[in-house]
Order: sequence, then C-alpha cells, then structure tokens
Amino acid sequence: MTRFIAIAVLLFLPLPIVIVVLSSFTSAGYLSFPIEGFSLRWYAEFLGSADWLRVLGTSALLALIGALVSTGASLAAAWAVVRHGVRFGTAYETLLLTPLIFPHAAIGVIMIVTLSSLGWLGTFTGLVLVHCILTIPYAYRPVAAALRKADPALEEAAASLGARPWRTFWQVSLPAVRPGLVTSLLFSFIISFDEVTVTMFLVGPFVMTLPVQVFSEVLESASPVIAAVSATLVLFTSVMVFVLDKVIGIQFFVERD
Amino acid sequence: MPKSIRTGLLLAPSALLMGVFVVGLVRLIASSLIIDGQFDIGHYTAILNRADYVAMLGRTLRIAALTTVISALIGFPTAYFVARYRGNRNFLLLLIIFPWLVSIVVRSYGWVVILGPRGLINGYLTWMGLIDRPAKLMYNDFGVILGLVHVLLPFMIIAVLSVLLQIPRSLEEATMSLGSKPSHSFRTVMLPLAMPGILTGVTLVYLMATGAIVTPLLLGGLGDTMLGTEIFQEVMHFFDYPKAAALATVLLVTALGVVLPIQFFERWLSARLSDGGDRT
Repeated sequence: MTRFIAIAVLLFLPLPIVIVVLSSFTSAGYLSFPIEGFSLRWYAEFLGSADWLRVLGTSALLALIGALVSTGASLAAAWAVVRHGVRFGTAYETLLLTPLIFPHAAIGVIMIVTLSSLGWLGTFTGLVLVHCILTIPYAYRPVAAALRKADPALEEAAASLGARPWRTFWQVSLPAVRPGLVTSLLFSFIISFDEVTVTMFLVGPFVMTLPVQVFSEVLESASPVIAAVSATLVLFTSVMVFVLDKVIGIQFFVERD
Repeated sequence: MPKSIRTGLLLAPSALLMGVFVVGLVRLIASSLIIDGQFDIGHYTAILNRADYVAMLGRTLRIAALTTVISALIGFPTAYFVARYRGNRNFLLLLIIFPWLVSIVVRSYGWVVILGPRGLINGYLTWMGLIDRPAKLMYNDFGVILGLVHVLLPFMIIAVLSVLLQIPRSLEEATMSLGSKPSHSFRTVMLPLAMPGILTGVTLVYLMATGAIVTPLLLGGLGDTMLGTEIFQEVMHFFDYPKAAALATVLLVTALGVVLPIQFFERWLSARLSDGGDRT
C-alpha cells in the first residue's frame, strides 16, 4: 500500500509540468492535448516578442539582485549570530524565518502598504526590496549551516600566523562556507525568479515579471505561447536544480541542521 | 572597532529588511482598525455581518484543512518509501524537489491543460466515445484541492523525509525482532518519532493553502472565492485597501491561530524526544 501510494505520488508530481512542456510544441492555434502536429512556432513567437523578452530580463535581473542582497545580508547575519554569539541569536534566527510562515496573500497586502508609503509601488526597487525579504529564509539556512560546520580554529590559525582580518576572510573563511553561499544564491534566485503570489500585488505599468505575466495571460487567453513561456521557465529551473545538485547535492534539501 | 559595533554592522542589513516587514505588518493591522482617524472595529464587524464573507471564510478553512489532511495522508507514505529506498534515492528526491521549485503558475497551468474542457482527460474521454460533453473537472472545489495538493505536497514530503532519514533503520528492525508486528512497530515507534516532521509539514501546507491566490483563481469557480482571492480582488479591482487590510488580518489570525499551537506542540515534542534519546 505504501509502495503504491508513493509511486503514484512520484509520478503525479512531475506530471503537469511534463504536460505543459509537451503541449508547447503544438502547431495548433489553441491549446489542446495531445498536441496536433509538432511545431516550434510558439517558441518563435515568444522569442520574437520584445515584450516577453523584456519581462524575462526584468525577472532575471530581479532574481539576481535579490539573491545577491539576501545572501549577503544572510552571511553577515549568520556571521554575527554564529561567530560573535549574539545574545538573542536563536530568536533572531526565528525572526529571519518569519516571512516563510506568513500566508502570501497577507504578505502581499503588507507590502502594498509598505511600498506605497515609500513611493516604491510598481517600481523595480520596490520589487527588489520585497524579494529580498521573501528570500531571506531560504538564503539564511544554508549559509548558517555551512558556517556552523566550518572550523573557527582555521581562522584563528591564519590570524596567529599574521594574516590580516581581510586576508583571513577572503582566503580562509570564505572558501570554507562557499558551498553554503552557492546554495543560498541559487536557492534564493529560484525562489525569487518563480515568485508570483506576492509580486502580483506590486507590479505596475512600468515593471512586470515573467510569472506574473504568464498568470495574467492564462486568466485571459489560452494561447499556446503561454505553454512555450512556461516551458522556458521550467528549463530555467531545471538548469538551476542541475547546478545545485552538482555543487552541493540534492540531498541538502532533506538534511536537518 | 569594538566587537559590539562590528556585530551591529553585520546584523544591520538583515535587521533593516526584517524591520521593513515588521513595520509593514504593524501598519497593516493598524490601518484595518482605523476609520476616519478614529479607532474602530467597523471593518471587522462589516465582514462578520456579511453572510457571503462568513461562507468564504468557512470555505477557505475547509479547503485548507482538506488540502492539509490529503497531503499528510499521501505525503507520509511517500516520504517513508523514499527514506527506506535502497536504490538511487537521489533520483526519487529529484522527482520531489524539481516540481517543488517550478513556479506555481506553471504547475497550476499544467492542471488547466489536463483538466480543462479541451484538456487531456476530456479529450481522451471524448475520443473514447465515453462522453459527448466535456466533464467539469475544474472550476470547482475538486480542481482547487487537486491543484493545491500538487503545489504544496512537496513541503510535506520534504519535512517528513528530513526527520525519517535521521531514524536508523535498525530501530524498526529491533522492534520487529522483539516480536512486534510491522503495523504495531510503525504505530508505536516510527509514527511518534516522525511526528515533529509531520507537524512542520502540516503547518507549512495549511499556511500556504489559506493564503493561496494563484491556484484557486486558475482552477476554482468564478463565484467561489477564498480569502486570498477575495483580498486580491479587493485590492486590484476595487482599491479598497482598508477592507483588504482587515481581510488580510483575518487571514493571519485564521492561519496563525491554527499554526502557532501546532508549533508549540512540535517544539515540546521535539524536546521530549531528544530528552528520551539522551537517557538511553
């Protein structure tokens, strides 16, 4: 029984994704499955559209900046908590995880209130700020875990051998936490690139992300170009997961710290 | 530079980000309690006095609860199977983690392609000659729950799996070699030890299900809103921010009111379990 349920679930999880990717190759003008004839015309339409490409660029840039900022902020915070022994360190770590345990619809409204008071509603800067907050929980855990595993005695040894603090940091500390850093970067990049529930409250006429654009197109039309765009999103995620697996091993996701 | 200043500088970037979040949260709750510059709970009484909102709240709770229970019922056996799998476990993990990282828009859209009037299932059934009109597989609760289970199930599996992988296989074998039946060994040993993981999974799935917008909008009926979709409509179509703020606060109370007790129970249970481990 366990075996039966497990195998069914393991087939069920990738199913809709496979279907979307396959349906993007249809030659018909409407979406149907099984597809009617093979064609790449919807990919041509997607890649030939300046609008779609601009939105793709916005999403990639947003995810890149967001990942860099939240990983940097997480590394600094983890350094303070793990190495300096902040007094309420555990409580602070819990605070950093709170965006994960707030329902996304509520975060959406919170962020509307916040961004409009800053005058950043519908701006790229506003999206960067929000994506940093949303990805901090995902960025913090791998960095903190790597820092806990790294031996501080190595830094002390480098320092006692006369290395200046910056040199110790670049040549000893940073390489020791590199796997954690790479994981944080990739993980927060994926989360930010695919985020839609909160982001759709905050986009405007001048800034739009790829998943939000896909969402509003799906609500309005059923053009197979959405399948081609979705398949491209899937390809992006696949590359990221492949790199994550190579760098740190997919096992990381189910390890407890 | 003194150490305390260095610590402060290191904490500053993350503290700033979290500060923005916390201040936003406080302002959200405050704005829902003010009408014309005065403290007033009118937004809340207005919500609770409307039968359609009360029905929507009930519907949100029902769908979130069903999604959570189904995810636990099928997620636990899956995690158990993966944890005890002797072959290439990495491949099985990939089947769980890859879909989890694909955008929820794409995954929900995938269900539209499968369940829609011209979708995979209806197409097949029509081709077989079993039906002449498309069956209604989505735009109802069934579609929403199926989509939500699909989107949120990986959270459950990953949470349970991370606990199960820490329980040595020999523990089960020991209980069985002492004469315990598999079902008994499962109930008295595995299930209690896995409980912290199950509770974490339940927490995450329930929270995300109550606050979901994308999946219910794509797979749900137009008339049957959930709290999340209603908030989205109030903001994007009616620009009624105070009402959206009140609904979002109701959503927070609904979600955290269920989840915080579970979290405390989970902490207590984890502490007790690790105590027991130390004594042996």
